[in-house]
Amino acid sequence: MRIEVKNLKYVYSPKSPFEKVALDDISFTVDSGDTLGIVGSTGSGKSTLCRHLNALIRVQSGSITVGDIALHARKVDLKTLRKQVGMLFQFPEYQLFADTVKKDVEFGPLNFGFSAEEAEAAAKQALELVGLDFDEVAGKSPFELSGGQMRRVAIAGVLASKPSVLVLDEPTAGLDPVGKREILQLVTELKKGVTDTVIIISHNMDEIAEFCNRVIVLDNGKLIADTTPDELFNHSDLVDKTELDYPHTVKIKRLLAAKGCTLDSPALSADQLTAAIIGRAKG
Amino acid sequence: MSDKGTESAANGAPQVTENSITAGQNDALIVAKDVTYSYRNGEQVSRGVKGVDLEIRGGEFVVVLGRNGSGKSTLAKLLNGFLVPDEGTVTVNGVDTADDDKIFDVRSTVGMVFQNPDNQMVASVIESDVAFGPENLGVPRDEIEERVTEALETVGMESYRTGSPNRLSGGQKQRIAIAAILAMRPKAIVLDESTAMLDPKGRREIMDTILKLQREKGMAVVLITHYMDEAIAADKIHIMNDGEIIASGTPREVFQNEAAIQRAGLELPVAAKVALNLKKAGLNIGFALTDEELAEEVAVALTEEKCESK
Repeated sequence: MRIEVKNLKYVYSPKSPFEKVALDDISFTVDSGDTLGIVGSTGSGKSTLCRHLNALIRVQSGSITVGDIALHARKVDLKTLRKQVGMLFQFPEYQLFADTVKKDVEFGPLNFGFSAEEAEAAAKQALELVGLDFDEVAGKSPFELSGGQMRRVAIAGVLASKPSVLVLDEPTAGLDPVGKREILQLVTELKKGVTDTVIIISHNMDEIAEFCNRVIVLDNGKLIADTTPDELFNHSDLVDKTELDYPHTVKIKRLLAAKGCTLDSPALSADQLTAAIIGRAKG
Repeated sequence: MSDKGTESAANGAPQVTENSITAGQNDALIVAKDVTYSYRNGEQVSRGVKGVDLEIRGGEFVVVLGRNGSGKSTLAKLLNGFLVPDEGTVTVNGVDTADDDKIFDVRSTVGMVFQNPDNQMVASVIESDVAFGPENLGVPRDEIEERVTEALETVGMESYRTGSPNRLSGGQKQRIAIAAILAMRPKAIVLDESTAMLDPKGRREIMDTILKLQREKGMAVVLITHYMDEAIAADKIHIMNDGEIIASGTPREVFQNEAAIQRAGLELPVAAKVALNLKKAGLNIGFALTDEELAEEVAVALTEEKCESK
């Protein structure tokens, strides 16, 4: 689903001593099929921007269009919007609330007008998508599960409404390496069917480099880049000017270049880097 | 009584003199012997740790790795008497953490920093937050001043002294949390995923701070983390799985222990992963932990000729 953000500006506590410009004249579009990474330091406006996308924060100035819904309009059909834009907050496992996993996951669909059967079917499908066995976990309290499982239940809760846009705010923070990989693989899986557009906020440049086809960089509320990971990490010096970091693979490639071994590969994942070095050794 | 004990333990001990690695500094500071701890909730018993033996020496940088639920945090909480073992013993500087009368000694010797910086602030002004620990230990007023200044200088936050913690970044808040621990003049600091909620800059700030404490102040650091990069600089790594320590050693030893890495659901640092895959593909590449080491190995493996004839 296409998202268009134009000249978006947002000020916290306007006309007060605490006034703070959180977003300053942000414009970008997300096309159907994109996996867009949003990077920037803490306080750069990433979360404020994302909260606009399902109208948790209303547009103060500028415009946002999600599919054919105008978020800057006086009246917004919130139900339709929120069904289409699924939002996963940071540490979503803290937001589980129901006494069983089933009830927690069904909560969204039921509110969006699914019948009881439809909601159950949706919950079942969503739990299976995130790799949990419905029959095994449905009746359990979400609080009996491990951290990684709780996070997956929370994601299932978002997926059950079958959103066409998924917004993930630091989806892998605090997870162990296997948990991280599982979440990212899930996102890749989802892209093949359920959800065509994914927006990921992350501090992990390795993840952004490997999983996103586009990336925007926020700095102090301003959009300072709208580009591809390859362009950002390999062909610009923007990273040096911000508090971001390079992915390890790109760092290794640069160290090699300094030693006289230039690789042609963008080296955005460990596999790409490995293949490029093998290619060089055998070629 | 316990105030006096604390002060002499934290202040007067010769092994915390800066930058000289005395024999005393390498003595075992925290010793866990055959420690088992389970969580009980009514009928339900879930295991925290089982049969853990661990020794942390003065001035040592120790990293604990393991998947979510492997018992890392339980172990951390056992190290300063937050939890007391069901079986086995934990001693800090020779004091049993199960000894209620000496728990202040234990907690002022081993400080803890947790994951969420917002949960650790107790005061609305930074200097009061940092002074909270020593105040509770009964340290005299003028010495508290001195300690607060020193602690804030160590973490590079002295210019924020009279400000409010509310407006700080995550990394800055964690540095204040570390300063609050330092003001108690501990010999060891335990960080339980304290960088998990931070951005790259915040993570670098915390890593730089704790390495400085370890190298310049001779403090023992126990770091629990999911970031393999943070483990590379450790003196020793322990890998936990299902409540037990399944492998221990230097980063070089531990990251070459493929079986343990697999079993504990860990991942190799990117450089090590690429090195291993290159080796499997038949290249003459040795083990590499850091990006620099890998670049060196690869540059040597690809002959000069191949590199230059692009």
